[in-house]
Amino acid sequence: MGNCFSNDAGAMSAVGGTAASHANPYDAPNDAVDLFLRSRGYNGLFSQIEISLAAVDLRDRDVLSKSDPMVVIYTKGRDGGLSELGRTEVVLNSLNPKWITKQNITYHFEVVQTLVFRVYDIDTQFHNSEVKMLKLEEQQFLGEATCVLSEIISKSDRLLTLNLEYREELGRPNPHRDCGKLIVHAEESFSSKTAIEMSLRCSDLEYKDLFSKSDPFLVISKVAESGITIPICKTEVIKNDLKPLWKPVYLNIQQVGSKDSPLIMECFNFNNNGKHDLIGKVQKSLADLEKLHDSRQGEHLFLPTAVGHDFHNKVLKSQLFVDKFTETVQHTFLDYLAGGCELNFMVAVDFTASNGNPRLPDSLHYIDPTGRPNAYQRAIIDVVEVLQFYDSDKRFPAWGFGARPIDGPVSHCFNLNGSSHHCEVEGIQGIMMAYASALQNVSLAGPTLFGPVITNAAFNASQSLANGGRKYFVLLIITDGVVTDLQETKDALVKASDLPLSILIVGVGGADFKEMEILDADKGERLESSTGRVASRDIVQFVPFRDVQSGEISVVQALLAELPAQFLTYMRSRDVKPIL
Amino acid sequence: MAANSRTLEIKVISAENLQLDRKPIKKNASVTVRTDTNSQFCTTEMDTEGGAYPRWNEKLVLDLPTHSMSFTVEVQCKTSSGVRTIGTATIPASDFVGGYLPEGYLHFLSYRLRNHKGERNGIINISVRMKVQEMYACASSTTWSHSTMGFPASGNSSFGGGVVTGVPVWYGAYQKNY
Repeated sequence: MGNCFSNDAGAMSAVGGTAASHANPYDAPNDAVDLFLRSRGYNGLFSQIEISLAAVDLRDRDVLSKSDPMVVIYTKGRDGGLSELGRTEVVLNSLNPKWITKQNITYHFEVVQTLVFRVYDIDTQFHNSEVKMLKLEEQQFLGEATCVLSEIISKSDRLLTLNLEYREELGRPNPHRDCGKLIVHAEESFSSKTAIEMSLRCSDLEYKDLFSKSDPFLVISKVAESGITIPICKTEVIKNDLKPLWKPVYLNIQQVGSKDSPLIMECFNFNNNGKHDLIGKVQKSLADLEKLHDSRQGEHLFLPTAVGHDFHNKVLKSQLFVDKFTETVQHTFLDYLAGGCELNFMVAVDFTASNGNPRLPDSLHYIDPTGRPNAYQRAIIDVVEVLQFYDSDKRFPAWGFGARPIDGPVSHCFNLNGSSHHCEVEGIQGIMMAYASALQNVSLAGPTLFGPVITNAAFNASQSLANGGRKYFVLLIITDGVVTDLQETKDALVKASDLPLSILIVGVGGADFKEMEILDADKGERLESSTGRVASRDIVQFVPFRDVQSGEISVVQALLAELPAQFLTYMRSRDVKPIL
Repeated sequence: MAANSRTLEIKVISAENLQLDRKPIKKNASVTVRTDTNSQFCTTEMDTEGGAYPRWNEKLVLDLPTHSMSFTVEVQCKTSSGVRTIGTATIPASDFVGGYLPEGYLHFLSYRLRNHKGERNGIINISVRMKVQEMYACASSTTWSHSTMGFPASGNSSFGGGVVTGVPVWYGAYQKNY
């Protein structure tokens, strides 16, 4: 629950194998997207790819030390606009960093996917902040590289080296500046359900620091098919200890490849200047580590030392022990759906006056007599077409808000079908018909309030719980504008965060939706209500609806991006297991 | 069935961003949960590793009197100069009682902590579950013998082939771990 916070300063904290990243499935390959695409016959036309990054010869921007680089990865849309995919962690004091944080992308054979990588030097004052909270304008830009995903995939070793460019004025790269190279490696990732928890310990480590004991940490890397080593995770740094016992490391088989894949475990001594000394290393697979645990024996570390012109592996007295090794099965989103959990969708449509007079052609609610769908109709069709795949009975509660029904006061949650008893409609057709008739029968008003609709959805969810159902609810809000009652919306969201409910807000029209992004805790802090209660999980996802063709894979990806993770967080925290 | 207190199972999970004198604390944070009448309280063990982001994952049991409207959670830190309070939060009973949620529901709740000056100082994450009372079996022998009135049962009037009488059941009793 919550984000992974730690007291350790940026470089000393664990990356990649922590309990938080293990429990938080946001970065995992998205099996919900896979299933939807397969159902449409896109078999074999896509695959999940994992991208690892490294760089050489970066520019040195800091005066007294080296740069502290981080990479931000973007996809470039057809209109040239960039949308951020993810960020790596910050590596301290290195001009040749190997980042551990991986990026998962769905590779589509028939689509040109342009990736843009921007390398930044992170200022020391930001080293303790969460990487996603860093404001890029405040950091120093080191260079940029662009490539097309198929370029990397088509190479036999799946490795692409790109020259980083530094654009001083907009547009023209400066050819005389040597900004270094970015090395991009792509690997096909697959979903694996097996997760391994290990407690690792070392004994008799050597003194590397002058006046104190070593500050050891472990880096676990895998060996890719091409032979290069890729770091998967690193433990936290333990200060001043020659017999360190690190916090448990959590690895999913998909990060590693298989239980027999060779892993390299290197024990380093942490140095503040970023130059960590190698104390010793071990090469073992997960299966070997399991045997080590069962036999309660240790494995001696070895250190490659130069003897003349050759490298000789000096076997050290230091040993690596595996104190705990447990294998668990992590059920995926699809396992739960197959095992008795149902998804139920609810729709709420914005009827506020900011949409424009529906009789005029420039209104977002204008019903074109030629039959061309308006923004709301397009959004409903495209979005519900994807989501309804997961709703078994295709009956959706549908509401409107922000309008005055005939002879009534403004309602912030009225049944779209015009009935006063029941709110459900059948399928997309049902929503479209109810929407069209509602437009005839209400007059647009305002303000844009989400509170009542969210509270209503939360009521549905809690009632279903009371009846013992295993249902998970998703409220889809299609709106044109910025919400007026931000605090009331936050209050409703905080109360709903404890329920089996997720909220997907789709923004249509050209408004500036920056305020909405505050509601998506992914991009900011946890939501707080006016009574001091804080949301216990992030249940909101905001997606601006751009002008894209229906069914295009990127739309599917954007819509289903957070839902499986939000669903799994709810189920796993309550120890609900699928009935298989 | 009217009890004069409800038993709460409170799991103190973790806290975030705890500070003393505007600096993150280094270690030794612990949590005390107290009823609002101050009649009862429980304290967790000290966390020695997490610093300003401690994890306890400790279950405490509190008997909350029926008329009680809330309980408080207080985070303290043991420093060299003694035990100091970092912040408190008041958890209203309405956040885990009433509404439409089933009685044994496991509520995951988080709250903003405020120090004695009223300033924000971190977040506390807990889970609360009301212990469901033992239910008396309503289907006593006397009720079953009335099942022959109403519809004439065909054949033997053993209640195997007869009419079933609906028995009001307290829905909380059958609620699985959800």
